[in-house]
Amino acid sequence: MKTTRILAAVAAAGVAAGLAACSGAGGGVAGTTAQHSDTLAVGTMTVAQSLDPTQANGSALPYYQAVYDTLVLRKADGTFAPMLASEWKYDDTSTRLTLTLRSGVTFSDGTAFDATAVKKNLEAFAKGGGGSATQLASLKGVEVVDPTHVVVELKQPDPALLFSLSDAAGLMASPAKIGSKDLATQPDGTGPYTLDTSKTAIGSKYVYERKADYWGDKAPYATLSISSFDNENAIVNGLKTGQLNTAVLQTVDQQIAAEGDTKLAEQKFEFDFQGILLFDRVGAVNKALADPRVRQAVNYGIDRAALLQGLRQGRGTVTSQIWGTETPGYDKALDDAYPYDPAKAKQLLADAGHAKGVTLTLPAMAGITTDAMTSALTTQLAKAGITVKWEQLDGASALQKIFRDRAYAGMVMNLGQSSNAWNLVQTAILPGTFNPFGYTDDTVTSLSAKLLTDDEAATATDAAALNEHVVEDAWFAPFYRMTYTLVTDPTVKATTQSGMAVPSIYDYQPAS
Amino acid sequence: MLIFLARRLGAGILLLLVISLLTFVLLSIPHTDVGRALLGQSAPQAAVDAKNASLGLDRSVLAQYGDWLSHAVRGDLGRSWFTGEDVWSALGTRLPVTLSLVVGVTLVTAVLSLLLGVWAAVRGGLVDRCVQVLSVVGYALPGFLVTLVFVLVFAVRLGWFPAIGYIPFTQSVSGWLSTITLPVAALSVGAVAGVAQQVRGSVLDVLQRDFVRTLRARGLPPGRVLFRHVVRNASAPALTVLGLQFVGLLGGAVLVEQIFGLPGIGSMTVQYTTRGDIPVIMGLVMVSVAGVVVVNLLVDVLVGVLNPKARVA
Repeated sequence: MKTTRILAAVAAAGVAAGLAACSGAGGGVAGTTAQHSDTLAVGTMTVAQSLDPTQANGSALPYYQAVYDTLVLRKADGTFAPMLASEWKYDDTSTRLTLTLRSGVTFSDGTAFDATAVKKNLEAFAKGGGGSATQLASLKGVEVVDPTHVVVELKQPDPALLFSLSDAAGLMASPAKIGSKDLATQPDGTGPYTLDTSKTAIGSKYVYERKADYWGDKAPYATLSISSFDNENAIVNGLKTGQLNTAVLQTVDQQIAAEGDTKLAEQKFEFDFQGILLFDRVGAVNKALADPRVRQAVNYGIDRAALLQGLRQGRGTVTSQIWGTETPGYDKALDDAYPYDPAKAKQLLADAGHAKGVTLTLPAMAGITTDAMTSALTTQLAKAGITVKWEQLDGASALQKIFRDRAYAGMVMNLGQSSNAWNLVQTAILPGTFNPFGYTDDTVTSLSAKLLTDDEAATATDAAALNEHVVEDAWFAPFYRMTYTLVTDPTVKATTQSGMAVPSIYDYQPAS
Repeated sequence: MLIFLARRLGAGILLLLVISLLTFVLLSIPHTDVGRALLGQSAPQAAVDAKNASLGLDRSVLAQYGDWLSHAVRGDLGRSWFTGEDVWSALGTRLPVTLSLVVGVTLVTAVLSLLLGVWAAVRGGLVDRCVQVLSVVGYALPGFLVTLVFVLVFAVRLGWFPAIGYIPFTQSVSGWLSTITLPVAALSVGAVAGVAQQVRGSVLDVLQRDFVRTLRARGLPPGRVLFRHVVRNASAPALTVLGLQFVGLLGGAVLVEQIFGLPGIGSMTVQYTTRGDIPVIMGLVMVSVAGVVVVNLLVDVLVGVLNPKARVA
């Protein structure tokens, strides 16, 4: 009897295996690749964290945009348009922004969107301790005038406020849910979609269903899914098999792999630069770096064209400035401010009293530096009399060592190039995370102060002057702006989003 | 048997406790800056410090562990620091994916290696040599290479299977089968190769024993001798290897899940460990250890059922 039982078990297992094989070969694929034009499947390397807007981060914006509308819409070209706020106006001091709000809009839970909701959201965001909370660092208060009018009061003018209100800080969640832990996984906004929690695997795949009673234009897709991956190889396989409709590819190998498939279309764009941030302009860790001539020597010692060719097969544009092509104040001539010239570098070092050369210790960390990069930089800079020592660090503890312990004079980094000049200045120039030693000078102080109240034309002039100054003073040693590709299959048309590494969800349309 | 089970269960609980403490301490050693990882590189240091304090990371490791344990014993594993998702719910979404893989591979391995192993042992000659060569090749091929080739050939080129993604069993049975078939096949290559060799060896060994000759001499049908006596006696070592494979597969699943973009606990472990999401990792470790304890217990019981000589008091 026992034999019968074993045989039966073996037979059952055999049938199951057979079934798996047959069904997989037959109808199975249709189940997963049914990407009709009413479905958009986006692949990304960015992982969403909590879906609570107070914890939102600009780089993961699309995950939020599906569910939450922002007060201001940032269009693909970077200009602003009405969304939940239909109008906005600054007072003469640029410290009071009056928003006129759209009426008749409700959150998914039925709560009405009004001035009180805006107040609660902005205040929660400023105090929420999220990664982008600094977007509202200048917020003094929010005054509710009437249900459709609200005044945002600032401690000082903030040229990036409209940008922030079109970004993480502008995401509006149901005031009834603010502060609740549920918002992290059950988002509730006024957006064009709702999260389908039954099909969503938090942290991996988010599936959104179109809201029937959305206040604005009907979303072009009935279903939107955003899946995150930890390698672009899987994304390219998904694009080739039609399981993903679109993705942005950053690595050169995968860009080439996608280009090999004639069904897929590519749009090239630039978003961030890679280079050495020379933090220690005060000479706290590395005394030599306090002298601008030493920082200039680092710049002259880098063969940018060779790096770009060797590391990214030429996919990018060499540059000596941290301003991006869309940042006000960008000056094309500054891309070539520091041509490769090891002899000049050595001369500068000698002039600065370091005829025997200097040593620069930098952190090497997975995900940012590669062996090819560190060895190329070491070789290049050695010819200029600069000895580079790399200290191998692991990801998370590396950040602590760099930013909290301030153990290094600089680091290699990829940094986004915002289309808003003030954002870039705040992130990279002013004392803060990427200026951990808090160095500044009179030119930087006066120009950045002017940027606070400048109009558009004056912003371009002052930002350009600031850009030129930090290039001349060699605050950074950028290598190149990297070319990314936005890949789409034949069912979808997509536009790159100014100042963002990935398109907004509004940038996708069915192709036909 | 009951005493044996109770003792094993007690040992299992002790193991869970020890491993939970070890894991917690080990996770706390690298000084992963969770606040920084959470808030991003451009967040001000003060915000990062405040975040770390709000997560209780400014307390001693033992105090943190005690806090975790006091909740865990009540079944509360906490929430992910990064996604805010309840740990049980996170495991509930991810575990079925990896279990589909691991159980699938174990079933395929059990059936195929039994057939191949017995066939090779009984027929000998060319069949035996072919099975042996294939086994060595299958065992020697690196798992990731097999997986990549499978994806390229069967998904990208031929389009028979999806290249990425997972469809839950509850959503569509055919979809589920289509998404796990390739990963299961890729993982099975090495597993079948290893276990088939084991089955072949044990069957050959048993076939040469005196009692088999006696049974044959008494005129029992060859099929009955083979399945009732030989395979049954040979199954214990094979089952043990199969149990070890099952445990090992949890590790092998990491790579396959990454290549196929499957939201299982393998890829989850990598993702959440790098970020230092302690509540989720602790939950994962506890579930994995419990899984290993249960599987080992099952193997012991099964071996005991199949082979009375192996039963222990």
